[in-house]
Amino acid sequence: MRSDQPAILAEELSKRYFLHGGGAQELKAALLSLPSLLGSNGRARHDFWALRDISFSLRPGECLGLAGPNGSGKSTLLRVLAGISRPTSGRLVLNGRASALLELGAGFEPRVSGRENALLNAVLLGLSLSEARAALPKIIEFSELGEFIDEPMRTYSSGMLVRLGFSVAVHVRPEILLVDEVLAVGDAEFQRKCFDHMKKLRADGVTIVMASHDLPSLQRYTDRVLLLEHGQVVLEARPAEVIHAYLLRVFGEETAANPIMGIPR
Amino acid sequence: MLQKTTSRGGAITVRSAGRTWELLYLLTLRDLKLRYQDTALGLLWSLMKPLMLGAVLFVALKRFVRIDVDDYHLVLLTALFPWVWFQTSVLLATPSFASNGALLKKVPFPRVVLPLATILNSGIHFVLSIPVLIIMLAVSGRHPDWTWIIGVPVLVVVQLGLLVGTLLLMASLDVFFRDLEHLTEVFLSLLFYMTPILYPLEVVPDAWEPIVLINPLSSMIEAWRDLFMNNQLPGLDLWPAVLFMLGSLLVGSQVFRRLEPAFADAL
Repeated sequence: MRSDQPAILAEELSKRYFLHGGGAQELKAALLSLPSLLGSNGRARHDFWALRDISFSLRPGECLGLAGPNGSGKSTLLRVLAGISRPTSGRLVLNGRASALLELGAGFEPRVSGRENALLNAVLLGLSLSEARAALPKIIEFSELGEFIDEPMRTYSSGMLVRLGFSVAVHVRPEILLVDEVLAVGDAEFQRKCFDHMKKLRADGVTIVMASHDLPSLQRYTDRVLLLEHGQVVLEARPAEVIHAYLLRVFGEETAANPIMGIPR
Repeated sequence: MLQKTTSRGGAITVRSAGRTWELLYLLTLRDLKLRYQDTALGLLWSLMKPLMLGAVLFVALKRFVRIDVDDYHLVLLTALFPWVWFQTSVLLATPSFASNGALLKKVPFPRVVLPLATILNSGIHFVLSIPVLIIMLAVSGRHPDWTWIIGVPVLVVVQLGLLVGTLLLMASLDVFFRDLEHLTEVFLSLLFYMTPILYPLEVVPDAWEPIVLINPLSSMIEAWRDLFMNNQLPGLDLWPAVLFMLGSLLVGSQVFRRLEPAFADAL
């Protein structure tokens, strides 16, 4: 990777959804809506812009936070960056191997063992089969599942499931990491493990985009934060500044004076 | 490993081909284990299904209706085994994108592996059931010869290609029109009677033969039967199946390529 190139370059990314009359889920609906689509005076399709003109550039090794209320477009932006969802307009360039952790343990099959799921999940998240095989012992060790690793996953508690999902995620070594909220689950000890991992990734020079509602962790781990509202960037600044502005919008003057203490309990 | 991805309101992430194969391998292996897991008879079920269907049809048509065809049980079975591969693949692979919405929305991976793994899985069950056919044929004094070494792979490739092309199209469309799953069920039972499975092509009256042969499955099922029963290599008669295979691969891959970027938003 050439260091003078941005790891991520987004230029005026926009994403539009149709709320009604768009993708018909039934043939009947499609046939019924055909005349209105063809005719000019049919029912208007209701546009919803989940993202609007999002532009930013990220240097290799930088960590960008995404903040904003529910429905502000954080997850949509991550999906677009991951290539899962196609932007309606705009330009996106990624330099480096990207890995998206939008959900821990996505694709786990409850009827097969944790070991088999871990291997498939690692390949699904971006490792090659040989890399995944090599990483498997470390994944199992990190998960602390012991002999349960060879039991079918339907016998796992939700905590164990998350543990294995995270262990796989840790061992996928991307150059660009896209994380959605996933680190905010699990018990205190598990959280500490997650945070240690984030620190290590940053030290290794991984470019990270993380969406979170957890303002203290945004402050601790990111270099810059985009504050999103209604799919638009309302502020791009250092974490402390963005958190202050965010809390100001939510709670008003006095609470925002002390960002960390100002978080509602 | 350097990967450069550009999307200008268009192209979606391009991923390495090697990883697609590895993912396909792992998924097929997993599904192979899963299909008959926790059943007492396991893999035997993939033999039992065509055999039992064959037995019922044999009694009904040979003993009751008294259809006048020699070795009728072989005529039935040599067509039923490849048919079951076709039918299971269509039924299971058509919803393969639509029923994996959670995964498609959360993980970027080559989506094409989902229907492919299902088709391959059923295909492996078919290939594993060929020894049973050999035993049945041997009982009637028919023995496979060298033609099988060429014929089986050729016909497997044709049927595989036909299934991949057709199902890329159907599975992609199913994301947007879930009606397709019900439509295929109806269409499959129709196709079962329109294809020379219950009857060999030679009992079809001349006037009707062109209509039966329009169906690309007819020439393929007949080719399987000729190979299994008469050690006869597939020849020029196979052209409708080959033509349909090439056409469906072309259309299926294009439709898939066009619709794939919209899967995550539609589910």
